[in-house]
Amino acid sequence: MTPVLELRGIDKSFGPVQVLHDVALTVRAGEVTALVGDNGAGKSTLVKCVGGIHPIDSGEYLFEGKPVQVHSPRDAAALGIEIVYQDLALCDNLDIVQNMFLGRENKRGIVLDEDTMEEMAARTLASLSVKTVKSIRQHVSSLSGGQRQTVAIAKAVLWNSKVVILDEPTAALGVAQTAQVLELVRRLADQGLAVVLISHNMNDVFAVSDRIAALYLGRMAAQVKTSDVTHSQVVELITSGRSGDLGLTNGVPA
Amino acid sequence: MRAGPSQEEIRRHNLGALLRHVHLSGPTSRAELTNRMGLNRSTIMALTADLTAAGLVREELPRETRRAGRPSLVVRPESARVYVFAFDVGVDRLVAARVGLGGTILDRRETVRRRGPFSLEEVVGPLAAFARQMHRKTRPDTVCVGVAAAFSGGVDRGDGVVRFGPNMGSVDVPFGEEMGRRLGLGLPVAVGNDANLGALAEHTRGVGVGCRDLIYLHGDVGIGGGVIVNGTLLGGHRGFGGEVGHMVVNPRGRPCGCGSLGCLEAEVGERALLEAAGRFGAFALQPWDGAQLRDSAPSRDALPREAPSQESLSRESLSRESLSREALSRDGAPSTGAVPPGDAVPSRDGSPVPADSSSPAGSPLAAEVLPSTVSHALIGRDAVRAVVDAADRGDVVAQAALSRVGDWLGLGVANLVNIFNPEMVIFGGMLREVYLGAAAQVRSRLATDALPPAREHLRLRTSALGDDATLVGAAELAFTKVLADPLEVLARAGS
Repeated sequence: MTPVLELRGIDKSFGPVQVLHDVALTVRAGEVTALVGDNGAGKSTLVKCVGGIHPIDSGEYLFEGKPVQVHSPRDAAALGIEIVYQDLALCDNLDIVQNMFLGRENKRGIVLDEDTMEEMAARTLASLSVKTVKSIRQHVSSLSGGQRQTVAIAKAVLWNSKVVILDEPTAALGVAQTAQVLELVRRLADQGLAVVLISHNMNDVFAVSDRIAALYLGRMAAQVKTSDVTHSQVVELITSGRSGDLGLTNGVPA
Repeated sequence: MRAGPSQEEIRRHNLGALLRHVHLSGPTSRAELTNRMGLNRSTIMALTADLTAAGLVREELPRETRRAGRPSLVVRPESARVYVFAFDVGVDRLVAARVGLGGTILDRRETVRRRGPFSLEEVVGPLAAFARQMHRKTRPDTVCVGVAAAFSGGVDRGDGVVRFGPNMGSVDVPFGEEMGRRLGLGLPVAVGNDANLGALAEHTRGVGVGCRDLIYLHGDVGIGGGVIVNGTLLGGHRGFGGEVGHMVVNPRGRPCGCGSLGCLEAEVGERALLEAAGRFGAFALQPWDGAQLRDSAPSRDALPREAPSQESLSRESLSRESLSREALSRDGAPSTGAVPPGDAVPSRDGSPVPADSSSPAGSPLAAEVLPSTVSHALIGRDAVRAVVDAADRGDVVAQAALSRVGDWLGLGVANLVNIFNPEMVIFGGMLREVYLGAAAQVRSRLATDALPPAREHLRLRTSALGDDATLVGAAELAFTKVLADPLEVLARAGS
């Protein structure tokens, strides 16, 4: 099966600093791909390249097998790539429906089509089995951390997206809410989406991922199936870029 | 010699199959039923007419159609009219529910079960009372078509007697018979092992829908299991199959309630986790008299809340306590382990709250040394959640405990994967929390101990039905008869 998203040989520099070296990444539908790496390994930069925030210097960007050019977040969204950032980018003074449609409101003539938007939002939340939210007309300011994360994820899913990238969705959440978000992440993939999960928490990574992509100092150390590796191997990949046969040899992927 | 099934048998089978479709998938249009069941339209029409006449389903015009042509009628289960009673007997809780056709929980009651010596009356009494309360509230045109219970113990398929239940302290209990007598509905009470029924529930309504081979692992105090092979629950010769909790993983390991050493349940169960985390309170001293001990804890006067007497030891008070603990931890000390054990720390509202018992006090003496800790020792799911929570916040003792338990759990799952090659393993009950908190260990074990071809396509999931999995399974068991022969069962129930 063709991967939904495939990156090959991605280089990215900020001035004299080269942040990504020859990075390859494959993301498949129906799977959760965990993107792991130490602070400064280039996870966020890679994701911003995928999302069109940073232009790539060189390399191939294939979407559903076809080479594409992504110059702006709008291009990425048009392809069906949604990114949920750590800060969630929700507006506290708006309700859930307004947030989910922010900037992309449905219109009927010159007025907003509130009914359709409300129905779509409700249907999306229901399809994700979100039961913790009392009313979809609730202001986001009244929601807990886990609920906000849920709304941000639902917002990403609303647009028939094909790839959803989640940047540390469980950071700053309590255990009960983390469990709910992890189950939601898993459900997204089980419904056929391609999910990229950035996380520092190894339990979260092992709990829901199908593949693990480990970045080390701007290079892709290895992309492995989660069922084939142990916790210590992944930790080694993150901290030293290699583990046994896996990983980088003199900075070059095996 | 028989030539084949008679017309009457085919009709009965089709009626049951159609009702099952509507029961499991919810409102379905006739056109879709025609497609899915592979029967022709007039047959479907005749079948739905029979079921409608019996009051099991009703037909309605669909709300909206986006297609041209005459809309196909939608067949809905009569959820409000046809129902069953489902019971769930866990170590710490008793649940009774009235569940409508289609799987809707119409009414539900729950109470806390005190850990202690098993008494049939203490289980049957509250459940029967709940059922009577719920029965009284029903309209006269409703009909009860079955009763079933999930029991935390091994149930004999032959006579429905609970043969063993080490964590309940029950041996040879004629639970179904007694329950049926007390209910007085004239219906037999089917009894099943809770984890077996949880497996069926996840298979029919949960995360395992469409999955032919799965294993459901249920963590209560012990570990239960349900193995579904090619769509059928593996019961074994007498129905005791799937007791994965008593698979020996560590022959020189911890003693198990069943009398053996190193059963999976002894290494992974609630007690193993709490002991490793140094949080195993009162029960270390007097296994079956925890509540009493809690009452007589010397430091009760110093505590802000009323000492948890037997009545107040309800789920609410426990969860309130864990909430206040959470508030405390958010507020201040990042590592609860640093707080001297037994000390009281001011919480957000200023009232003193006993410190976590998470200090490195793994010795069995800990409970004696720390009376105030003992008096507040959490049990059951709340205690397990507290360990996972502490580990998440950086408590090293809790982390080590979870990691140890996760390692054994992974070993158990690896064995199961090698034997059964399931498509999915589902973690339910308290194992949901344990899996999510120790997934790295569980999957590392699988990577090293499970055979590569067997683990390659394995999916590990947490229960979609959560705490209701066993109850939903009991309801499905109660519906079995009406789905096998709808008209006959309804006629008998109505008379």
